[in-house]
Amino acid sequence: MPKPIFNQTNFFIALQYLFARKKQSFLATVGVMLGVTTFIVMINFMTGVNDFLDDAVFKGSPDVIISGKQEGSSKQQSLGGNLNTLKNIDQINTLLSDHDNVRSFAHQIISPAILISTTNQLPGGINGVFPLQEHQMVDLNRRLIEGRGFESLSEENTILLGVSLAKRLQISANDTLKMILPNGKSEQLLVAGIFSFGITTIDNVRTYMPATTLQRLLGKENSITHIHIKLKDRDNVAIKKTLIQKFEGSTVEDWKDSNKTIVIGNKVRDILTWSVSFALLLVAGFGIYNIMNMTVFQKRKDIAVLKTVGYSSNDIIFIFLIQSIIIGVFGALLGAGFGYIISYVISTTPLDTSDFIIVDTYPINFNLGYYILGLAFGVVTTILAGYFPSKKASQVDPVTIIRGL
Amino acid sequence: MILEAKHIHKYFHEPQKQQVLNDVSLQIDEKELVSVFGESGSGKSTLLYILSTLDTNFKGDLIINKESIKTMSPSCLTDFRNAHIGFVYQFHYLLPEFNVLQNVMLPAMKLAEKNRDEIKEEALFLLEEVGMKDFGLRPSYKLSGGQQQRVAIARALINNPMLIIADEPTGNLDQKNTDMVFELLKDITEQRAKTVVIATHNSKIYKNSHRTIEMIDGSIRL
Ligand SMILES: Nc1ncnc2c1ncn2[C@@H]1O[C@H](COP(=O)(O)OP(=O)(O)O)[C@@H](O)[C@H]1O
Ligand SMILES: [Mg+2]
Repeated sequence: MPKPIFNQTNFFIALQYLFARKKQSFLATVGVMLGVTTFIVMINFMTGVNDFLDDAVFKGSPDVIISGKQEGSSKQQSLGGNLNTLKNIDQINTLLSDHDNVRSFAHQIISPAILISTTNQLPGGINGVFPLQEHQMVDLNRRLIEGRGFESLSEENTILLGVSLAKRLQISANDTLKMILPNGKSEQLLVAGIFSFGITTIDNVRTYMPATTLQRLLGKENSITHIHIKLKDRDNVAIKKTLIQKFEGSTVEDWKDSNKTIVIGNKVRDILTWSVSFALLLVAGFGIYNIMNMTVFQKRKDIAVLKTVGYSSNDIIFIFLIQSIIIGVFGALLGAGFGYIISYVISTTPLDTSDFIIVDTYPINFNLGYYILGLAFGVVTTILAGYFPSKKASQVDPVTIIRGL
Repeated sequence: MILEAKHIHKYFHEPQKQQVLNDVSLQIDEKELVSVFGESGSGKSTLLYILSTLDTNFKGDLIINKESIKTMSPSCLTDFRNAHIGFVYQFHYLLPEFNVLQNVMLPAMKLAEKNRDEIKEEALFLLEEVGMKDFGLRPSYKLSGGQQQRVAIARALINNPMLIIADEPTGNLDQKNTDMVFELLKDITEQRAKTVVIATHNSKIYKNSHRTIEMIDGSIRL
């Protein structure tokens, strides 16, 4: 009956060799550890940033926007109340209601305006929204800093402001401000709430007010300029084509068009994470390969002796392979541990608000899957790196070695 | 009869084709102490590697204990060697990562017929027999040549093999150690009822063995 290769004796011999060269074993373990640590930290951080941007930008913005096409020159628009109102609204509504991939949609009337507080006056884009519809598009309550959310827009002459805009206007909730529209109409508005998406470009300019108020002030009752659409499957934007074909008088944009830099940024971060981690694990793997190769060369006499006293080729493979596996498992476990600690420290590190994002600390994604992946990576690399030298060891011919050649 | 070699021919192809063993036939009985004697290069080692089943790449047949080793698979052969053949080299070849006791235990741990404690007891007993009892826990590289060779003999005996093959076991030893090692091998033959085959230059050894086989240029002189 053949004895199993994984047995105490082979394990004992492997450990003996591992401890006989503590320094090399330690260095090899550190190599694997560094690879896995880097992988964990990078992927935790990079996907943390990606997720944060996803959440802030894409969850706070529509997936597809239909807007009225500009007629005539842009000069005309900026001068007077010539908004690009959307046509065929009923047909578009029907199409969207029937479409499989549309989760929800909301009408908006968007107009430029000047906002005036007691201390400052600033241009801004005013989003006139229908609160119930808009509530389905954007989860504003989660992002409120002060005051109330969309529900407050059921009252006329109310407005919600992005936090950076409010700061520059030196205004807080329940203050009033004056709005002047391109057609010269002005109105006092109550600041019902202040929100933050965490993205400077949004928090700097975005405002919400009741569409009905804006329509009345612009003298455009029942007109809208935009329809915002949320999709069930964001990556499938086939609807864009349909809309462009059917409604030539309108412009259709999807989230990729509107957020090119962020989409590219996510991709770059992904590529960076994978290539750097892969390179480091490759280096660690090579380290183990070299160490094991050297060991096999130095120990060929021992291997010959083991073979003459009855250890089989498979025993020899196991004895050497298990050394790499032990290094790999220990290195990977240590790497996952260190990776977690470093990621944790980063996640609690305060972050100076940059021009781009507004957060208290670095965003980190502690997904367990990445830890499992990191462990698997480390162990598989070392098994591969250890296998070839072990195979070589098993092929040592005892007669040649014992002859002293 | 424990071992029979039938018309063994052995060639080396590197660096050029060369016949190293030429129609070697021999029979060895149980409890015999046989020495193989001959000039350097006459083919003693080559023959011993074949007799100990380490080298299976030869023409002819080798029968040990009524079994032809040519019919055995490599893994069978490894197990066979483990259980039935003890080997002692000119260079003792102990494993430096292991202490003396562990070196002796290694073949028995592979055989795995006894538990660790029984093997340890057996190994200590053998170390006592070869006069190395007090060195059990010492790293094997911290021993003199003669001491290492005595440990290697204990290692060759641990699985209680029927055949012990020693290739110039005293080749690197002074006269005092040579005598001691030879006495040990002789005792093994007589007291433990083993068969021992020794390749040697040493006239004292071959004169004191039961039978001498002389090799000349790859053939046995009759
Ligand atoms: N691996 C080898 N390749 C080629 N020739 C070899 C090899 N091993 C031994 N020989 C040759 O075979 C002959 C017998 O060698 P060996 O059996 O070692 O003799 P001995 O042990 O009697 O000194 C020598 O001529 C030696 O050069
Ligand atoms: Mg020789």
